[in-house]
Amino acid sequence: MSNINHNIESPKEKQNRHKAMEAIKLLNTLREDFKAPIKSMEYFYDLFERVHCKHESLHDGKTKIGTMCIQIPSEIIYALDGVPVRLCNGFYTDDEIGSDLMPQKACPLIKATVGHFASGNFTDKPDIVFSPTTCDQKTKAGTTIESFGYKLIDIDFPRTKESEASREYWRRSVKQFAVELSKFQGKKLNRTDLRNAIKKIGYAQSLYHKLSDFRKKEIVPILGLDVFLVTNAFFFDKIDNWIEATEKLISELEIRAKEKITVTGKASPRIVYTGSPPIFPNYKIPQIIEESDGIIVADETCSSNRMFNDMVAVDEWNIYDMMDSISDKYLKACTCPIFTKNEDRIRRVVQLVKEYKAEGVIYQAFAGCTVYEMEQRSVLEAMEKEGIPILYLESDYSPSQGGQLSTRVEAFIESLKTRRRKKK
Amino acid sequence: MSSLKKKINNMNLIRFRFWFQIVAFVLIVYGGYASLDLGDKLPTFACVFNSEGTGGKCYIGMLQHDLKNPFEIFTGFAGYAFLISLIMFMVWFWVLNKSWCGFVCPLGTMQDWLTALREKLKIRFSEYSWASRSNIKSIKYILLILLLIIPVMISNSIFGLPKLPNGLSMPFCDICPGRMLIPAFTGNFNQFYIDFSSKTDLVMTTLGMIIVGLFLVGSFIKKRFFCYFCPMAALQYIFSKPALLKLYKDGAKCTKCGDCYRACDMDILEIADDVTNKNLVTEDCILCLKCVAACPEDGCLEANFTGITIFESTKEGFILRMAMNKQKESHE
Ligand code: SF4
Ligand code: SF4
Ligand code: SF4
Ligand code: SF4
Ligand code: SF4
Repeated sequence: MSNINHNIESPKEKQNRHKAMEAIKLLNTLREDFKAPIKSMEYFYDLFERVHCKHESLHDGKTKIGTMCIQIPSEIIYALDGVPVRLCNGFYTDDEIGSDLMPQKACPLIKATVGHFASGNFTDKPDIVFSPTTCDQKTKAGTTIESFGYKLIDIDFPRTKESEASREYWRRSVKQFAVELSKFQGKKLNRTDLRNAIKKIGYAQSLYHKLSDFRKKEIVPILGLDVFLVTNAFFFDKIDNWIEATEKLISELEIRAKEKITVTGKASPRIVYTGSPPIFPNYKIPQIIEESDGIIVADETCSSNRMFNDMVAVDEWNIYDMMDSISDKYLKACTCPIFTKNEDRIRRVVQLVKEYKAEGVIYQAFAGCTVYEMEQRSVLEAMEKEGIPILYLESDYSPSQGGQLSTRVEAFIESLKTRRRKKK
Repeated sequence: MSSLKKKINNMNLIRFRFWFQIVAFVLIVYGGYASLDLGDKLPTFACVFNSEGTGGKCYIGMLQHDLKNPFEIFTGFAGYAFLISLIMFMVWFWVLNKSWCGFVCPLGTMQDWLTALREKLKIRFSEYSWASRSNIKSIKYILLILLLIIPVMISNSIFGLPKLPNGLSMPFCDICPGRMLIPAFTGNFNQFYIDFSSKTDLVMTTLGMIIVGLFLVGSFIKKRFFCYFCPMAALQYIFSKPALLKLYKDGAKCTKCGDCYRACDMDILEIADDVTNKNLVTEDCILCLKCVAACPEDGCLEANFTGITIFESTKEGFILRMAMNKQKESHE
């Protein structure tokens, strides 16, 4: 009866409805299914709900600078009065749209990103997009995205990072980026704005580090899933709001740490998560881990730790040196698998295991993400050498795959528990 | 104890070093007026030509002087005296290791002042290209060998070569920028001259004038321009291994972010890229500890004195030094 007045749903509405469903399903799980929920996380749950279910735009009247990958320096964007919006996408709905435009075996992250652009359905539509030439698929996706009528500029990114030539090359790319953006914005880059932007992002990073410190403790007061949500919010949130919300979160965690409130079970194994990035709402693997009594204490992914860990250090606070510092940080510290050699990533994972007293590593690669798939072997070998248990998983964005993955994760977590008992 | 440690790790190294260098400069350049005398084996450019002001004497100067003797002399008592001088030099050096360069040497400090001036004027610094970097490295050793051999060749004929003229008795001092610049700080400009008395003197003193010019211009555009060529650095490095002050790195904690390298006035790549060695006092390092202050990883780099960590990199310290600890916009 009530359906009589029902209008036929447009494709855009259908897409929105599906995405809202994906989003709210995860948000409700986060809100309700875990013990000892954190009050100040509500800001982040609500933020994602506002953006993905209620389709609120956050940056009306501002120029939105779309970025793909983490190598486009937000410092420069802020200094030139733009708002960086990272467009890496985690929606299965968009992945399906993108599947028609990309090779069958392509990476779901890229398919979803391309699908999102194809639909043109944005709450904060980017006015210009900068795409660093990282992995093959992202690099090539640029032209597809451009063909939908977006203004997209490729930023040359070197794929070796050891050589001095690559340092020079990337410094030049970053300068070029600043020139392009400054032209687009009709604003000259100045020293004060750039310095303030560096300090603001540095401050945001320092909050992330404080947040991480809680995860080093024996009693872990926050879920890995929640941290992923916090870091993912940084992709698009108003930076001042993000800072405020994270400050609140930290104060709440301080209290929780004192009162010894934990989100884990009695003997939840501590996990370091590495591999293809979990991007909202594709938290499939982290969710399985934490629903199977594991706790993610740290990660090595570009949607979280890699985005915050390394900080820009400036020696001479003049534009020339600030620009070089920014460039170097985005290249030299990066542990992205697209680079030729990658001992840095291995060293990083081992160090995270030590620092966060983790007992095992879970490495997931998206089916189709060749670079993470390829690096799997060397990382596994290295972990074996260090005596760190590791589980390798392949996954995609489809909601159907859950059962088989959880069996493997559960078995791994059980084995970690047994290992611990034996050690005692 | 731990709060003191935290204070030290959080310190503003740049400011600390700035003032330390000033105090050291005053002691070395003007100490003599207050009858300070640290002896004549100092591993730093306390110039003998600043005869009234100097608070001690430069061993490079003394070394050349000591070597200008016939071989026979060294077999006797003078040989022991020579060895004892060398040991005295080493002992002085071992206390601070290359921090003599980063914190004490007046020539080093002068270069840092020129750098500060350039920074104030917002002029970009230049760097040596990587190809020339490796060629430059050997120059300081060549200079060291020359300054050791030339004085010997004045009193001795080596390989049947004729003895050198007496004008070359202090060959490095002739071309050392310290000879002119350090006395200048006490109002003594007498060293700015060209000596026409003999061909050798003419060539050497002219060279000296040119080098002073290069020193001033060079270190204005390139940080620590002169230190790359300094034979004192070469002599020090030979004895650096057993020194008490060390720069240690824990490679496991390093992300190779390069922050340390960018802070390094000597452009030492190893400080960022070497993740296997522990002792990171490399040949050109001046142990200024700027890298430690610029490293954001807890405990990755440290200054260590006789096995005790005295200053180490911490995230907290980094954030304070970069003024990233509060959300405050500055306008100027
Ligand atoms: S997940 Fe892999 S394939 Fe996908 S964008 Fe990242 S690096 Fe490229
Ligand atoms: S001229 Fe140079 S080498 Fe000679 S004593 Fe003076 S500072 Fe030392
Ligand atoms: S390298 Fe030479 S000039 Fe530079 S600080 Fe050391 S002793 Fe002084
Ligand atoms: S700053 Fe620290 S972490 Fe970064 S490269 Fe240097 S030593 Fe490594
Ligand atoms: S390596 Fe460190 S201590 Fe040595 S010169 Fe460079 S910044 Fe100074």
